Parts: sequence; C-alpha cells; structure tokens
Amino acid sequence: MALFNFLSFILKKIKPWVSRSWMFVGFFVAFFIFWEYSIVWFDIPLYILPPPTLIVEKGWVDIDRLVYYTWITASETVTGYVIAIVLGLFFGVAISFSKILRRTIYPFFVSIEMTPKIAFAPLFISWLGFGLLPKVIIVILVCFFPIVLNAILAFNSLSKELTLFYQSTGAGPLKTFFKIRLPAAMPQCFVGFKYAAINATVGATIAEFIGSDKGLGFYIQIVTGNMRADLAFAGIFFLTALGLTIFGIVTLAEKLLIPWHISVQRTEKNQ
Amino acid sequence: MNSFIEISNLKKIFGTGENAVHAFGPINLNIKDGEFISFLGPSGCGKSTLMLMLAGLLSTTTGHVEIGGKKVTTPKTDIGIMFQDSTLVPWRTVRGNIELQLEMRGEKIENYRDHISELLHSVRIEDFADRFPSELSGGMQQRAGFCQAMVHSPKTILLDEPLGKLDAMTREKIRSDFQFLWMKEKPTVVFVTHSIEEAVQLSTRIAIITPRPGLVDRLIPIDLPYPRNIEVKKSDKFVGYVRTIEEIFHEYGVI
Repeated sequence: MALFNFLSFILKKIKPWVSRSWMFVGFFVAFFIFWEYSIVWFDIPLYILPPPTLIVEKGWVDIDRLVYYTWITASETVTGYVIAIVLGLFFGVAISFSKILRRTIYPFFVSIEMTPKIAFAPLFISWLGFGLLPKVIIVILVCFFPIVLNAILAFNSLSKELTLFYQSTGAGPLKTFFKIRLPAAMPQCFVGFKYAAINATVGATIAEFIGSDKGLGFYIQIVTGNMRADLAFAGIFFLTALGLTIFGIVTLAEKLLIPWHISVQRTEKNQ
Repeated sequence: MNSFIEISNLKKIFGTGENAVHAFGPINLNIKDGEFISFLGPSGCGKSTLMLMLAGLLSTTTGHVEIGGKKVTTPKTDIGIMFQDSTLVPWRTVRGNIELQLEMRGEKIENYRDHISELLHSVRIEDFADRFPSELSGGMQQRAGFCQAMVHSPKTILLDEPLGKLDAMTREKIRSDFQFLWMKEKPTVVFVTHSIEEAVQLSTRIAIITPRPGLVDRLIPIDLPYPRNIEVKKSDKFVGYVRTIEEIFHEYGVI
C-alpha cells in the first residue's frame, strides 16, 4: 500500500512535466533510433559514425577517465565563467557610470569583441604552459565580452520616466543603484550571462585541443587520432551534458532572480 | 490665497544656432496654493518640457521658477510626479512600488502603512496591492502610479498626461479618482493634458498654451462646483467652457 501511495505520488509529480515534455522527449528518442538503424541501413563504417548503443557501451568501459576529464573541463569552464561574470559586471558598471571609461575602454572592448578570441589560445598556451591557468584565461576571454557589452547596454537602458522618478526622490547614487538601476539591468545582464555560458565550454574545449594533457577536449583529440569515433562521441556527450548543466543553472538563476521579467514568464507559459 | 508657484519669464530653447528649437516662452504665471491648474495645448507646444522645469529636472534657458518661495535650481524632492508611461518597477508589487517612493526618500514604511491602505482604497485597487504591475490593466497601473506619486503627501503634484494612453471609459473613472483625492488633500496640482474635457472637468484654472513656441495665451478660471460628476458635465456651463476652448484651438488652426 505504501509503495502504491509512493508511486501515485511520484506519478502526480511528474505528470505535468510529462505533459509538457513528451514531444521533446519523443523527438530525441526518434532521433537516436534513426541514428542507431541508419548505420545498418546506409552501411556506414563504425570508425566514421558508431551507433549510440556502441558509444554508450564503449564509453561505459572508459567511464572513469571520462568522468575525471569532465571534472577537469568543468573546473576550467566554471572558474573562467565565474571570473568573467565578476569582471564583466564590474567593468560594465564602471563604463556605464564613467564618461572617461566610455570614451577609452569601451571602444577598445568593442574592437576586441570583433577579434576571434580563440586566436589568442596558442599564445596563452606558449606563455603559460599546459596547466589550468591558460584554459581559464581563454574561457574568461570568450565569456567576458558578451557579459560586459550586455552589462553596459543594461545599465544605460533605464527608461526616461524611471530616471526622472529617482531624480525627483533625491535618493543618493548607491540607493538608486541597488533599488532601481541594478534590478532594472538584470534581464539584459542575463542575456550576456546565457550567451557567455554557451561560449564557456567551447572556449575550454578548444583551449584543450591546442595544448593540454587532460580534459574532454584533449580526450576527444586523442581518441579521434586513434580512429575511436565511439569514444570521441562519448566525450562529446559528456561535453554536451556539461554545457547543458551550466546553461540550466544560469536559466534557473534567472528564474529565481528575475521571476517578474517578461522573458521568464513567457518561457513558463509556453512550457 | 498666496502664490505658491511663480513662473517668471521662463523660456526654453533646445540646441544652438540654426538647429535651435524654441520650445516655449517667455512664460509668466502664478499658481495659487491648493489650485488644480491644467496646461492645455496641442502636441509639441512644450507643456511637458515646462513641467520638467517646474520639477527642476530640466534647466531653463532664461527665467526661473519659485515653489513655496524657494527658487528651483535642482530636482525638487518634495513633489509628486507622474508621467504618461508608468514609473512602476516590474519587480515589485503595487504595494512595493508605493513603498519604493518612501524607501528612496529614507522614510520609515511603518509610519505610512495606514496611509498606503487609504490611498489604495480611495482609487479602488486595495485588492490588487500584492499583484505585480504586469498583472494589472493600464488603468490600474496608472491608479497605482498615482498612489506612488501621492504617498509622501507632497504639497505639489505634477501630472504629465497620466491618462494619455488609456481608453475613454477608464479615463473617465480615473478622473473622478483624481478629483476625489485632490478634494481630500488639496495639494497644488499642475496637470498637463491635450484633452479639453478633461481639463474643464478637473481644473480650477486652465492655461491655454499656443502651438510652438508655447506661450500662455489665456487663463480661464473654471467656475463649476466640485465634485464635477456626470450631472455637472451635462450642464450648459460645462459645455460652454468646452466650446469656448475648442474655438480658441480652432483659431490656432490645430482643430
């Protein structure tokens, strides 16, 4: 009886999720089934494209290494991403409130944003070696600019009415910042955070391709060199999971911090 | 009654040289304590600019404004201000938005709890106090905005076309709310509008502003009893005021 109650409780809890997500889950299942059988139908060699079941089977054999390398790549990604958020917000606020910085650093940042940051990766590897630091710096580079540019836009986009309102209250700059400017800027800041979250794993992986002795980027490069497409795909699955986890955490933070914003409400309504 | 707001030789020109735009002025006007005065004029005549200068939120080109005997040189903090677009922030509830006005001024919220409830009740949105602005209709948002502008009991309230984006029925309802609150607390209200009927219904006096550059062409005292309800609006006197003002704007070629 207790088991029955427990099961009906679980069923009740997941029912809304199932009703929302069945199309998405169905599509994924269909995609993997098609992938699995297309290998046989089109007679594709396994070293070119292995089927998902083989990827899982071989990946499971090498699971310890995959988990360890995921941890390494995650450390580089998360460290770089968090530092990029702190620096991006700091410079975003500083540039928004300083005329001098707006005329000096801001155009400099815009110019650098146009440069493919990943081009700096070999230089950082040669300067700083194969350790964690050059990868973290590359992640910071690819994440920092979308965060800072969106933060500048965010802090400069307060409506005319709200600006006049706070001026008419006589409140000081600090109070105005925390009570009006910061919350008003959060939605646009999250645009930068989300964009940077997508860049973060890309930055770490490419940095590992260029010079590393561990991490998922290193793993994918080595196993591909050994014609082990099955393990390369296993590495890609872990990278995808890492990217989705980081993006999921940022999206969750957005829902918790700005539940009032139209983009959050619209996403919830559409689910 | 004494003059509470004195506008002396006030003029605003935007830009310089060939690109200069003469927004309005020179304007001279005295507004009495507790008066409800409307600036009525066509779009672009500088009414909103004039209001921002009264609030000290925009510099003057020439002349000056005095409120309560003090020259306005910096933003006035002892006023209530309301615009066509809401100043409600989306991350706070209606009550939270009203409290924001007090928090920004460093006032203690506890001292205003009853006053906030009274204000919400007077504009009939007490049941929506814990709702967010996105959950309210445009009319409710403007009512909440009015409570926000009034909560610190300012002696001067500046209203810049606060009903401009609302439908006719909602405007009518909110006008009576405004009227009720003004009659109760008697602040000095400067109301910017381009609706003749609205100005006649609410004001003790109407300043007719010419097309740009805006000048106070005529001052029309409105001698009608308050509250100006539907009966008053049907009266010959009310209709007479509306017709007179319509003819003035017809002369300007704006209607």
